[in-house]
Amino acid sequence: MNVIVCVKHVPETAEAEIAIHESGKRIKTENLVFDINEWDDYAVEEAVLLKEKLGGSVTAVTVGPEDADGTLRKCLARGADRAVRLTDKAFEGSDSYAIAKILYKAIKNLPFDLILTGAQAGDDGCAQVGVVLAELLGIPHVTMVKKVESIEGLVKVERELEGGLEEIMELKLPALLAVQTGINEPRYISIMGIRKAMKKEIKVLSLKDVGLTEEEVGESGSWITVEKMFIPPVEKEAEILTGGVDEIATKIVETLRAKGLI
Amino acid sequence: MEELSTIRKLNFNVCMQCGKCTGSCPVFPKSKLNPRRLMLETAYLTSPLTMHPPLNIYEKSEVWDCTTCSTCSYRCPREVEPMDVLIGLRGLLIEQGRVPPTLGDALEGVYKYGNPWGLSPSKRSEWAQDLEVKYVSEGEKAELLYFVGCAASYDSRAQEVARALVKNLNTLGVDFSILGNKETCCGNEVYSLGEKGLFEILVEKNLSLLDQYGISRILTTSPHCFNAFKNKYGKDLTVQHYTQYFADLIDKGKLKFPQRVEKVVTYQDPCFLGKHNDIYDEPRKIIENIPGIKLVELNLSRGRSVCCEGGGGRMWYDIPGERGRLAETRVKEAIDVGADILAVACPFCLLTFDDAIKTTGNEDKIQVMDIMELVAEAFLPSNVQCK
Amino acid sequence: MKELFVLAEHRQGELRDVTFEMLTKGVELSQKTNADLTAVLLGHNVEKFEKELAHHAKKVLIIDDARLENFNAEAYQRVLFHLISERKPSLTLIGHTAFGVDLAPSLAAELNLPLATDCIDLDFEGEKLVVIRQVYGGKVNVKASLRKSESYIVTLRPATFEAHEPKPRDGDIVKIASPLSEDITYKRFIEYFQPPAGEVDISTADIIIAIGRGIKDTENMPVVEKLAEALGGVLACSRPIVDKGWLPSDRQVGTSGKIVKPKLYIAIGISGQFQHISGMKNSDLIIAINKDSEAPIFRAADYGVVEDLFKVVPSLTDKILEEKH
Repeated sequence: MNVIVCVKHVPETAEAEIAIHESGKRIKTENLVFDINEWDDYAVEEAVLLKEKLGGSVTAVTVGPEDADGTLRKCLARGADRAVRLTDKAFEGSDSYAIAKILYKAIKNLPFDLILTGAQAGDDGCAQVGVVLAELLGIPHVTMVKKVESIEGLVKVERELEGGLEEIMELKLPALLAVQTGINEPRYISIMGIRKAMKKEIKVLSLKDVGLTEEEVGESGSWITVEKMFIPPVEKEAEILTGGVDEIATKIVETLRAKGLI
Repeated sequence: MEELSTIRKLNFNVCMQCGKCTGSCPVFPKSKLNPRRLMLETAYLTSPLTMHPPLNIYEKSEVWDCTTCSTCSYRCPREVEPMDVLIGLRGLLIEQGRVPPTLGDALEGVYKYGNPWGLSPSKRSEWAQDLEVKYVSEGEKAELLYFVGCAASYDSRAQEVARALVKNLNTLGVDFSILGNKETCCGNEVYSLGEKGLFEILVEKNLSLLDQYGISRILTTSPHCFNAFKNKYGKDLTVQHYTQYFADLIDKGKLKFPQRVEKVVTYQDPCFLGKHNDIYDEPRKIIENIPGIKLVELNLSRGRSVCCEGGGGRMWYDIPGERGRLAETRVKEAIDVGADILAVACPFCLLTFDDAIKTTGNEDKIQVMDIMELVAEAFLPSNVQCK
Repeated sequence: MKELFVLAEHRQGELRDVTFEMLTKGVELSQKTNADLTAVLLGHNVEKFEKELAHHAKKVLIIDDARLENFNAEAYQRVLFHLISERKPSLTLIGHTAFGVDLAPSLAAELNLPLATDCIDLDFEGEKLVVIRQVYGGKVNVKASLRKSESYIVTLRPATFEAHEPKPRDGDIVKIASPLSEDITYKRFIEYFQPPAGEVDISTADIIIAIGRGIKDTENMPVVEKLAEALGGVLACSRPIVDKGWLPSDRQVGTSGKIVKPKLYIAIGISGQFQHISGMKNSDLIIAINKDSEAPIFRAADYGVVEDLFKVVPSLTDKILEEKH
């Protein structure tokens, strides 16, 4: 089974302090650590698991700057056979729609049975690229995938709905699956593994290589334009309980008693 | 398999299967880990013989239970170095990505953020904010570098040790500096986990930092950092654990304690000072020199000391199904010998004993303190609060 | 007259809350832009929803087709492509839910209409549609405008907009013939599936103790289990705990889990990414325990404790048990 995985190189922001850039349209990234988007990490692992079970190849594709090579190397170290990076100044400012167009051009002439993407990206959380890409390629898609099973020419998936409920869908290949976190346990990638992956080639393609015009990508090719980014106003601020551990515990118990909860 | 070369270099073919390693392994009673059998199985890996039933080395997940206390290597009559063989096996598993997730996270944390908890480097020296410290990264040169280590930098309890150490050095008028937020993991646990590639990156990074700032002498909080710099970096670095430094000062008559500390104290020999580096007397010298302290020995001490179960990655990994660490037994032992204070010289011992005292409900019977905290108290009682 | 579409979302015989949240916002927007609010209902044998939707909207368009019985984005997309192309609504609102994420992007791409997803607010500034979204896990808000178009598509974040009882109205119910002519064989719904779970339904619990990544290891569960027992509450969690398999998925609180409104919600070791906060922010009393003073959870809680949970929780459990005896 030939699988293509679309991945994104994103900053880790969960534990970091975020500051807005002077332009007011993005955040400052100098002190942030970048890594593969968490959802895409699961997608890569799933692709490699499928390859290990069914044979075939895995190709990792990303739209990003040269630094995105770090993410592609991780994919190669995990077990991807090939990596493609789409880089061009014209791509800057692209939203999900424009990114999907770029990926579409790069992928449409490649042989594949399945495309995997993460259900969303940890930075913008739009959850659009995979599905738009599927539409452009004319293949069926399913999002929020928790489990994949391949049967002859078909793929059966468990899809996550809300509240713990799931549904089972069946698609004919070729298809695109946007995977949800928790679908597998991504294995650790060692530094030596990444070093070995340095030997594999990363193909780099530009705007011209994929046959797009400047108007079709970047801000002009997007559905959405960022007007400004800002730290959300503080609506509510918790009253921080102070004191030693026991003092705090006592204060909580008093509050609970007062509210009739104990 | 390329990774087997680490194992081939070791001399386990001379293993006579005596079982002293298994007999002395502190973890063996509660884990599938059996060093003797592991040596036999590993021998089969590199020989034309086959094992029945066939061995899948990738299923030996019990290798993660090891604390790298080195008792097995310490006791082996044939110098087989079972601990090093085990680390080699861990390396094999690491290359296959077969690591328990919490350990994988710890390694990723070191790689991305310079510490196994994955906390921001910008917070690494927050513990020193209100103290008088020179930052070598800001051009403030000093004779000695105090290498704090990840635990003492980020853990709130262990930070108290760093603060006590700094106060003690200041009281003594020692000229020292710290790396501040530029400090990054020494890599001792990374090495013990078998992540050779990551360890090499850390060595390169740290050596270049030492070079960049012209550092010639290092003092560490943790015996683990001490061990890494002294034995694993492949360079002849002048590094001391703080117990060596302070014991030295006592020998030179430069350490006088104005305050008495009227406590009965027992001491836990940390694996990385004791069994790994034969440092037993210096910590005791310091404790005994504090007026008022009565030092009592644990029943199993010095070379027979029992690991707290903090090393070898165990700070980030629990043996599946286990409830209760060795630290709990040690705490009870300390109470049995009549100690008020269980003194330690390692942040991992400090944290594991602190937890164990709570989980065994012995907070009112004993407390754990680092030697630096005892010293701080002997200098000026207001430095440290004896709870 | 321009129309503003709200796609009704229903599952297993019930209209989902997000439908009413969207209709309430739809009323506001349709009034502002002088458009008719139209609820769009796709399904099979869904007459029972007609009246309720007609209370909120000026018009209810119903397309009934056996092929629409269980949600299938392909079938929905075909119908909506047809409806939107024909009727050209100024805006189509869809919930940013498991349905919505499967449907909206491909629908927008097929229609080549601009789409903004997971919006927490939106407005028309003249002809321009402007939305507010959250990025970086809720730490940063973005104000974005959509490419000028006669018709927009927006997915709204569930449990974010308020659902109000509408001013009584009785919208027209219009049945439209289904444009579907053939079965969709390349993507089929097989069945619903409830993964094995416990006997506990956290959405009905009065007291919830929720745990997050701060718990560090499944071995540490007893610490919070004891607290839950002491309070007579149930254990719930944030997503990462479910991903690691430490608790079943029906214990997950959040936009992809359950929305809960208990009397007491104690968040332990949870950083508070928006996906989680959306699921619990309307609880009566929220207490958060987290070592990190900057954790977003403190912006959703009533009381905060910046302390190591392994120190606070056991002490709290003890004091509660003391109090009870």
